[in-house]
Amino acid sequence: MDALQGIMTGIQVALSVEGILFVLMGVFVGTFIGMLPGLGPISAIAIMIPITYGMAPTIALVMMAGVYYGAVFGGSTSSILLNAPGISGTVASSFDGYPMAQQGKAGKALAVAAISSFAGGTVSVVLLMLFAPVLASVAVSFGPPAYFALMLMGLTLISSLSECSTIKALISATIGFMVATIGLDGQTGTQRFTFGNPNLFEGIDFLVIALGLFALTEVCTLILNRKDQSLSQNKSIGSLKLSKSDVKEMSGPMSRHSFLGFILGILPGAGATIASFISYVTEKRISKKSHQFGKGSIKGLAAPEASNNAATSGAFVPLLSLGIPGSGTTAVMLGAFMVLGVQPGPLLMSDQPEIFWGIIASMYIGNIFLLIINLPLIPYIARILRIPRPLLISLVIMFSLIGVYSISFNPFDLYLLLICGVLGFVMRLFSFPAPPLILAFILGGMMEQSFRQSLTISNGNLMIFIENPISLALLIVALLSFLVPIIKYFISRKSEDSNETTSL
Amino acid sequence: MLKRINQRIAVVLFVISAGYLIMSYQLPSFAYTAVDADVIPKGLGYLLTMLSIVLYFSKNTETEEQKERRNIPKRDMGGLLTVGGMLFLYIWLFEIIGFVLMTSLFVFFCSLILGYKKHIINALVSIIFSISTYTIFVFLLKIQLPQGILPI
Amino acid sequence: MKKVFTFFAFMLLMFFVVACSGDSSENPDTSETTDSDSTEDSGSEISDSWQPEQTIEFVAPAGAGGGWDTTARMAAQVFNETGIIEQDIGVENQPGGGGAVAWADIHKQDGSPYNLFVSSPPLLLVPLNGQSEFGHEDFTPLSNIIADYGAFAVRADAPWDDLNDLFEDMKEDPSSISVVGASSPGSMDHIQFVKIAKAAGVDPTKIKYVSDQDGGALTSLLNGSVDVYSTGVAETVEQVKAGEIKVLGITAEERLEGEVLSTFPTAIEQGIDETFVNWRGFFGPPNMDPEAVNYYEQKFKELSDSEEFAEIRANYGWDEQYMNSEEYKKFLDEEKESIASLLEELGLSE
Repeated sequence: MDALQGIMTGIQVALSVEGILFVLMGVFVGTFIGMLPGLGPISAIAIMIPITYGMAPTIALVMMAGVYYGAVFGGSTSSILLNAPGISGTVASSFDGYPMAQQGKAGKALAVAAISSFAGGTVSVVLLMLFAPVLASVAVSFGPPAYFALMLMGLTLISSLSECSTIKALISATIGFMVATIGLDGQTGTQRFTFGNPNLFEGIDFLVIALGLFALTEVCTLILNRKDQSLSQNKSIGSLKLSKSDVKEMSGPMSRHSFLGFILGILPGAGATIASFISYVTEKRISKKSHQFGKGSIKGLAAPEASNNAATSGAFVPLLSLGIPGSGTTAVMLGAFMVLGVQPGPLLMSDQPEIFWGIIASMYIGNIFLLIINLPLIPYIARILRIPRPLLISLVIMFSLIGVYSISFNPFDLYLLLICGVLGFVMRLFSFPAPPLILAFILGGMMEQSFRQSLTISNGNLMIFIENPISLALLIVALLSFLVPIIKYFISRKSEDSNETTSL
Repeated sequence: MLKRINQRIAVVLFVISAGYLIMSYQLPSFAYTAVDADVIPKGLGYLLTMLSIVLYFSKNTETEEQKERRNIPKRDMGGLLTVGGMLFLYIWLFEIIGFVLMTSLFVFFCSLILGYKKHIINALVSIIFSISTYTIFVFLLKIQLPQGILPI
Repeated sequence: MKKVFTFFAFMLLMFFVVACSGDSSENPDTSETTDSDSTEDSGSEISDSWQPEQTIEFVAPAGAGGGWDTTARMAAQVFNETGIIEQDIGVENQPGGGGAVAWADIHKQDGSPYNLFVSSPPLLLVPLNGQSEFGHEDFTPLSNIIADYGAFAVRADAPWDDLNDLFEDMKEDPSSISVVGASSPGSMDHIQFVKIAKAAGVDPTKIKYVSDQDGGALTSLLNGSVDVYSTGVAETVEQVKAGEIKVLGITAEERLEGEVLSTFPTAIEQGIDETFVNWRGFFGPPNMDPEAVNYYEQKFKELSDSEEFAEIRANYGWDEQYMNSEEYKKFLDEEKESIASLLEELGLSE
């Protein structure tokens, strides 16, 4: 009964003139900052904090939440159009979004992304509203062993990201994992592979690798094909028409990964990046048309987009109901709460229902606004691709440089970016896929830490991974996802063999 | 012995993994932990060694299209290297010279080298791009970009 | 080509709209280029000979959103909004190396009175761990403004009711109790716990410390993966209110003020004579002009005394602790010495 009353207060807040106005402003600023190079939700929130100073807390927080999910929403644009992910949560969106745009379907790709984001956002708000208090216990149920098992499961899915050779995908992944070991080791503080250079102590930033491996590598390819004018002459590039079959194709992954993304988003430490990767890979695994993935599949774009937005709302569960920031972004968001004198935690829902439910209720409206703001802009934004190639190439290079510089302000990272660009280009020349590298980079680092945390706790006893039911279940799934393709492979080879013998 | 391209790559990877392993073995030990900082790196090093050996003996599964990617005309390679060199120069100088000036110059000359012939438009775009980016970052978002020698 | 222009024009326009609607409380930065005249016009009451004549920079040696960043931004904002300092203050983030990158950079600005930075205990710890060439001795301490304290929390249903209970068990079987914190061994969360535990007679080399830097530390405590959570006092308040955890002790000298905070016992009142302060203050490059140091000391004092900053402190749960340059330097020297001997015992120092 209390909850129902709370929800009503929340809806009142969200539907007040002020509420609507500030949600609109929040999502507008968020989506715009998200489109800018390197600036994701963290910077967007940090930039907006001083503006909220002195505002009424409820309204200010409704706006800040809008900035947050708006920035995630806007972040996919540069991934899709330029293969230059502005934030880590949208790297997976470039796997299929960029090929689509290159085929002259930029408008369509952006529309698919926008609609999937909307779906992910909306489904997760419904879940948030219905189950937020219950889900808080899910958020705290994962200890280090369970995280280890989750990351391991993600890693076993890597082999399915290969272009043709599994061994090359595994090599890419191993190198990605190796890169993740650079920096100060979390458990011991030991310097690893830093050569005593302070610039490497905190490890290499995810964005440096993503922009180098994807954007700059693509720039190299663009330079080689700079005479190609098909895109600049394509008049229908901004068209957002989706056919019935398109809608049908995206509806499956969209709904599946709205749920999956939300669940992963709830877990502190997992977040939008990991959610979008795991969604992409699982969608590829279960899809019957998995060969189209990486070549402009609508499913391959809808899955990570629905997932990263759903994860964003999911991250509000531990934040609002426990006061636990599960990621760098929610930590900054927590700062935004605190500067307004609001302390999220287990009591927020009963003490200040207007804030708790106001934020959640405003997300419905925010998501609708995002869709309304973004869809009409797509035809214009998509026309960026019609800029003559030489000019576009220069601008993409600058986009990547500014992106990296605006998070670290350090030329050292720009040199690293350049190195990653060269590495990516060499990898492309010799058909080593880049996605496994970046996936292993993210999952590997966290996996190593949770593995060692677990063993410190258990005094070195490996049983800790089996004694914990969540970790046991995830390990079994990981084992299956690793074994099933191998078994399938042998079965299909056997039947091929028998076919050959019969045909002989 | 090194006829196939995979074999050559395998040798390079083998060398990398060896170097990585050597560094892993030099990591200092830390007394109070169950699994020390060197365990995972050592594992990764051996994994890469193993994978490079497998790659050495594996059949070449590249398609013709993938092979075609390596066929870069000398002229294009020159273009790539020039852009790379300019990028290097940009990174080296832009904190000293300043964002606006360096960015304008970079966008203009990079487009020019890549064969963009409409010089006036090129100049305008590069200047407007750098000034508007600078304005947005520095004045609206309060994110500092190097000012350099220009007064703004 | 026209479209490109329309796009940029559009981009600009949009941003001005946003800026105008959002920035109503802020002064537009028009004084950017007219520095030297405006300071004289502003007619400051201070009769000191040194006055800033260009934009002052506050560097947060970390990324956006952390404690250093928040302190720098809030201080800059209060300075400019209240007019304590009329000159524009820009905040710059310079992450990397746990601060080492920024410190190395600022160290090069020898004598400049315009490049200030925020720091806290890592300025002592990071050099002691051998990860930075420069420590507090290489800079000019200006003023300390904030103090924060460590808290040691356990689950509400844990068998321990005070620190002595916990430490007795730790002395008996150290391998059965694990402590979690959000920083790596040798840095804050670890050191504050070790410092107190050692004073209580626990062998510091036997303490089982788990570092969780991905935001899972509190979660690990709540779900029973670990036993003790070493963190800042502010992080524990909501969970204590909700009855999920209990705080066995804090590292402050006396009990803190506040509805919940005042219920937290200090280590000292439990007979463990040791404290740990998470101080936070501002520093300048080496060899700063003494008159400029004087200027900033006064300004930070005014900031610390202002109502606006008091409100910010209250919101973030920070404690007031002002120290002027000289006091600050002495305090830091002593702190460093005591931490250095601790790290040596742990075998963590370089």
